[in-house]
Amino acid sequence: MSAATAQRSTIVERLTKSWLYIGLIGIGVVSFVRIITDTDDLTGAGTIRAAIIATCPILAAALGGLWAERAGVVNIGLEGQMILGTWGAAFFTYHYGPWVGILGAALLGLVGGLLHAIATVTFGVDHIVSGVAINLIGAGAATYLAEAVFPEYEGGGPRQLNGLEAPAQVTIPGVSDLANTISDQHWFFVSDVASVIQALTTNISTLSLLIFALVIISALVLWRTSFGLRLRSCGENPQAAETLGVNVYLYKYVAVLISGALAGIGGGFLALVASSGFSTGQTGGRGYIGLAAMIFGNWRPGGLLAGALTFGYTDSLRLRDTQSVHSLLLLVAIGLLMFAAWRACRKQVKGALVVAAAGALVMAWFLLTDSVPREFTVMTPYVTTMFVLALGSQRLRMPAADGKSYRRGSAG
Amino acid sequence: MRRLTKLSAVAAVAALALAGCGGSDSKGGGGDKPAAGDDVCKTADGDGPKIGLAYDVGGRGDRSFNDSAYAGLEKAVGEFDATCIEGEATDGEAESAREDRLRNMAENGATAIVGVGFAYSESVNAVAPDFPEVNFAVIDGFDPDDQANENVAYLGFAEQEGSFLVGVAAAEKSKSGTIGFVGGVNNELIQKFEAGYTAGAKAAKPDIKVEVAYIQESDLKGFGDPAGGKAAAAGEFDKGADVVYHAAGGSGSGVFDAAVEAGEGNWAIGVDSDQYLTATAEQKPFILTSMLKRVDVATYDFAKSVDAGKPLTSFVTYDLKQDGVGYSTANKTAIDGLTTTIDDYKAKIIAGDIKVPTKP
Repeated sequence: MSAATAQRSTIVERLTKSWLYIGLIGIGVVSFVRIITDTDDLTGAGTIRAAIIATCPILAAALGGLWAERAGVVNIGLEGQMILGTWGAAFFTYHYGPWVGILGAALLGLVGGLLHAIATVTFGVDHIVSGVAINLIGAGAATYLAEAVFPEYEGGGPRQLNGLEAPAQVTIPGVSDLANTISDQHWFFVSDVASVIQALTTNISTLSLLIFALVIISALVLWRTSFGLRLRSCGENPQAAETLGVNVYLYKYVAVLISGALAGIGGGFLALVASSGFSTGQTGGRGYIGLAAMIFGNWRPGGLLAGALTFGYTDSLRLRDTQSVHSLLLLVAIGLLMFAAWRACRKQVKGALVVAAAGALVMAWFLLTDSVPREFTVMTPYVTTMFVLALGSQRLRMPAADGKSYRRGSAG
Repeated sequence: MRRLTKLSAVAAVAALALAGCGGSDSKGGGGDKPAAGDDVCKTADGDGPKIGLAYDVGGRGDRSFNDSAYAGLEKAVGEFDATCIEGEATDGEAESAREDRLRNMAENGATAIVGVGFAYSESVNAVAPDFPEVNFAVIDGFDPDDQANENVAYLGFAEQEGSFLVGVAAAEKSKSGTIGFVGGVNNELIQKFEAGYTAGAKAAKPDIKVEVAYIQESDLKGFGDPAGGKAAAAGEFDKGADVVYHAAGGSGSGVFDAAVEAGEGNWAIGVDSDQYLTATAEQKPFILTSMLKRVDVATYDFAKSVDAGKPLTSFVTYDLKQDGVGYSTANKTAIDGLTTTIDDYKAKIIAGDIKVPTKP
């Protein structure tokens, strides 16, 4: 007992320590790049705030994907469920205020999840086919419902409903002001940390906090409870789970419903926090990005958080300041070179050389140009996220029975 | 496997049905829309020309393009003793649905048919040759092939001139010396807005700084991404801009949100229609003005030309001289002190003293 506890605590210690080091080094590098390239926007509180807002809907969708795929159901219907969520958030917020609105977003997303669950779990439809159908249905249903309902509302039209009340924002008075003062000094390291703190303590939406909390809750439920263990067993080996008395259908249903609800909340965030209203097509493929972040995040909460944050950060950075994308090149180059050094230390010579070559190329690009062509800047979030996550997670392992159809009694 | 195929077929059909039925329903519910009760086409019975008006998605009651076109129609019907028929597009409808709408109007005796929005360009191009005696017009239209149609008019606007005027307004209103522009998609059309805006701002205050951001480089989803609009505009406000003009369609509401969040003393400028009228109560005080595209003027003018027996054809550009573009003064307290200056520039552009660039 005591030995096990001791062992666990060292693992926890080691993990938190390495995360701490990585975090500290990361901030240091970003700060260094900020000073070298003289782009204060790189870690300005405004950028961080925009990054958080851009991250949240992707993160919610990615979490939704995590729940479904951990139970063995591929959910590419996230986009459709998200679209349903935007409509649900708008409708319920208009009538009952923002918190009911978020529940409404979750409810509509859940309906999308239910459709997916019925098709894939009960009827064994190919997960991709069903997911595509959910995306079409979600977009069609939201357009139809908006045209049918919103034109009569105040601030509404056939394609939009504006002026929705947002969930409350939180500011921690003393901390926020202090952090603001420090970040304005543009000191090395300290100011960068201060702007992150400032963004987290100034006018941050409670819904953002909720979504970040949901990552932790999901991680705990899926990896620290027997319910989570059973759910994951349905994604790894449903036949084995069945022989142990797990009701696989039930667990898959629960997982896909939660998945839809989370995607719906992501849609709700778009309608309530990222902007102040519903408009058709406002998800703009964020559900797919969430799915990609989840896959590159190796079907793990920490990984998908990193993916969503990278995407959100780079996307808001290129929207706010196209010049800063050029500074991002240096950041990527340094990151790659450091990664190469780390690999060299571990005697992985071949891998180290490849990464170092990539790093040198990006560095050359940075040094030889003054700006990145506009056509490339839109790609920044995609390219960077791919770089970071492809390097970070060399060995992706999806749940063993992910996407496979399961029939009760197939264990024989 | 058979079951799978069947089910996926059902799902696909359901999706298509749902996506398609938005329109038919909204036509049935059209009577509920705010302004649709007193439809001029239901009461007009004069013996003048018959005007067909094919709306873009949204139809009447959108308080933007479509309503503006209707206003022009109403004026024309009253003045020329005309009659009219209307039709409305639905979101994501097939090209053939648009063609059917136009064909239907032509077969029902319409002699002047206006398609509201560039989306009608292709369908008008397909239908017009079959009805040589009918005159067609497309608002914001373009000719999709190199064969000119003799009975089609493409009614465009000198957006750069209207943008010039709001650029003057922005520069005059700005206290910080920095203003911003948010475009939906970085294409030639939206660059016209940017070019005019920047030129106007520099004319009013030569040392003004203009921050420019585009939500997308080529993907049209940049016109429907309020979250992106808000992020881009917030970035400009953070960099010290205190007036931001958007040419980003549906993403514009995010730009207004960003102005609201930036707080008092910061402004946003709308586009196409008078967005002060359609903005939410919270956004209204922050909307300085809007660059107007007078779709009503173009619609009326086209009807007039048909009535006079000299129908407009080919490319027609409505500029400041014809009152085809302009700026809104709906937010009186905000714009009041600036109108004389703006009108001075307007006079200079009309007189030809100022040439407004179309490329940034």
